[in-house]
Amino acid sequence: MEPLLAGLIVLLDPQLLALLFAATLGGVVIGALPGLNATTGAALLLPFTITMDPIPAIAILTTIYCAATFAGAITAILINTPGTSASATTCLDGYPLAQRGEAGRALGMATVSSTIGGIISVICLMLAAPLMARMAYNFAPPEYFALTVFGISMLATIGDGTPLKNIIAGAFGILLATVGKDLLTTVERFTFGFNELSEGIGFVPVMIGIFGISELLVQAERLNVERKQVFMKAIKLPSREDYARVWKTILRSSGIGTFIGILPAEGATVASMIGYNEARRWSKTPEEFGKGAIEGIAGSEAANNSATGGAMVPTLALGIPGSPTAAVILAGLMIHGLQPGPTMFTEQAVFAYAIFWAMLLVNVTFIFVGLFGAKLFARVTFVPVQILWPIVFTFSVVGAYALDQSMLDVYIALASGVIGYFMRRFGYSVVPLAIGLILGGMLEKRLGQSLIMLDDQWWLMFTRPLSLLFFVLTILALFGPYFWRLFKQRDPLVSTGE
Amino acid sequence: MTRFAVPCGIVVFCLVAYWLSTQFDRVPPILLRGMQPADFPQMVLLLIMALSVLVMIFDKPIQHEPMGVNVWTSLGLFVVFALLAQVDMFLGLGVFAGALAFAWGERRILGAGLVAIVSPTLIFLLFDMVFRIRFPRGLLTNLWYG
Repeated sequence: MEPLLAGLIVLLDPQLLALLFAATLGGVVIGALPGLNATTGAALLLPFTITMDPIPAIAILTTIYCAATFAGAITAILINTPGTSASATTCLDGYPLAQRGEAGRALGMATVSSTIGGIISVICLMLAAPLMARMAYNFAPPEYFALTVFGISMLATIGDGTPLKNIIAGAFGILLATVGKDLLTTVERFTFGFNELSEGIGFVPVMIGIFGISELLVQAERLNVERKQVFMKAIKLPSREDYARVWKTILRSSGIGTFIGILPAEGATVASMIGYNEARRWSKTPEEFGKGAIEGIAGSEAANNSATGGAMVPTLALGIPGSPTAAVILAGLMIHGLQPGPTMFTEQAVFAYAIFWAMLLVNVTFIFVGLFGAKLFARVTFVPVQILWPIVFTFSVVGAYALDQSMLDVYIALASGVIGYFMRRFGYSVVPLAIGLILGGMLEKRLGQSLIMLDDQWWLMFTRPLSLLFFVLTILALFGPYFWRLFKQRDPLVSTGE
Repeated sequence: MTRFAVPCGIVVFCLVAYWLSTQFDRVPPILLRGMQPADFPQMVLLLIMALSVLVMIFDKPIQHEPMGVNVWTSLGLFVVFALLAQVDMFLGLGVFAGALAFAWGERRILGAGLVAIVSPTLIFLLFDMVFRIRFPRGLLTNLWYG
C-alpha cells in the first residue's frame, strides 16, 4: 500500500503533471496525424527522455502510448483515415455516423469507451503485474529462455506480414542484436573494426529508422491520395439510450483488450479487431455494423485502449513487450538502467506505481481532450505532408544522433529506414524486427546461462515443468492457427459458420 | 519475380554473414562455458535461410507496383543528406528538408523556409541549449561553437 501512495505522491509534482498534460496533447496530435502512431511517436521521443529522470521519462512514453492510441479514433471518424492501425475498425462505423451529421456522437462514444477501457486495463495492470512478477521469482534461466522464445513466437501473428515473414523479420532483429561483444566471452562479432559497434547496435537509431524514416518513404508513395473531411459543428454527447445499449459491449471489449494486451507481442490492433467482431457477434442488430453502429465504435475503441494497460503487464513484470509500443518503452527502461521483472516491484516499487498512476491519469484526461479538443486536434491532420515529413525527418536524425552523439547512429537510422521501407514493401512487418532486436540479447544471454546451469545438456530444459509449458505454448502459438484451419476445413458445420 | 528474388537475396545475405561468423575468435575448450561466440548467430542465420526457402515455396505471388518517382527522389535525397552531413549535419538537414518539401510539391517560399531553415534551427537550439547536446562540428556549426 505504501509504494502505491508514494507513487501517487511522486506523480502529484506540479512540474511532472504539466509535463504529462503536454505529453497527452502531444500524444493526441501524434495519434491524429495519419502515418504517425504511438510506436513512431514513442520512438521519436525516446532520445528526448534520455536526459530526464526515469519516472518522468517512462511516464511520458506511456502517456504518449495511451494518448496516441486513443487519438487514432479522431481521424478515423472525421476523415475516414485511422490515425493508428488500432483504429482501423473504428472507421467502419465512425465515418458513416460522421457522414450522417453525427460526428459528435461518434467521437463522444469513442472518448467514453476509450476512457473506460483504459481505466479498467490500468486497474488490471495494477493488480496483475505484481502478481505475475512474483510468479517470476520461480524462474531460473531455462524458464526465462523458454518465456523469451514464447514471446518471440508470438511475433508470427503480429504486423502486416505472413507468419513466416514475421518470424524472418524477428530473426533478423535477433541477428542484429548479436552485433558487438558477446556477453559471455567478450569476443567481438560483426563489428567490422568500428569501435562504436562494440557495444552493439543501439535500439534508438534502429527504431527511429524503421518506424519514422521508413514511414517517410511510405508517405512518398501516397502523396496523391486525397482525403475527405467531414465538418463537425459541435460535440454532442451520446445519449443515455446509447450508453444503455453499449455498456455491456464496453465491458466485454475492455476484458478482451486487456487479455489480448497481456499476451506477449499482441497489441491494440488485434484487440480492436476482436473487440469489434465480438461486438457484432453479440449485437441484437448486427446488420447495422458497417453503416454507423454505435456499438461498433464502442467495441473497437474500448478494446484498443484497454490493450495498452494489458500490454504493460508482461513488459513490466517479465521484460517481454506486450505490444510494439511497449517494446519501445522497454528499450527506454533499459536505457535508464531499469530491469523489468520481479525486482521492479520490490526495489523500484515507487517507480512502477508512479507509471500506473500516470497511465490512469492520462485515461481520465482523455475525457476533456476528447470532448473539448477533438475538433481542434482534427485540424492537425491538414498539416501538408510536404511540411510535416521534412520536419519529422529532422527530428528523427537529430534524435538518432543525440543518444551517443555519434554520426554512425545517424547512418544506422538512415539504413534502417531504407531497409524498413523495403521490408514493408515486400510484406515483411518491421514490428517483429524491433522486438527481435530488443529480445535478441536477452534470448542469447538466457540460452548461454541455461546451458551453463544444465551443464550443456539442453534437453533438460524440457524436463522442467514451467519451461516445458512455455515451449508447448510456443508450438501452439506457431502451429495452432494451421491446426484450426485444418479443423475448419474438415468440419462442414464450422467452415460454413453455422 | 519478387517471390523468389527477395528470399534469394536474404539467403545470399545470410551466407555472407555465416561466412563472416566463421571468422570470429574462438574460445579455447578449456575456458569455454556455454556456447562459442559464433554458435548463436549461426543458429539464427540457419533459421532465416530455412524460413526463406519456405517463403519461396509457400508465399503467394504479389504484383508490386513500380516504385514512384517520389520514392526514388526521397531515396536520392537520403544520399545527398548522407554526403552533406560529412561537411555539416545542420547544413545537410536544411538542404534535405528544403529539397524534400520542394520535391513533394511545396512551392511557397514561406513553407520551404519553414522546413529548410526555421525547423532545423529551432531543433538545433533546442538540443544545444536545453538538452546540452552538441551537433558535430562542421562548416556552419563552427560559426556557433566558435
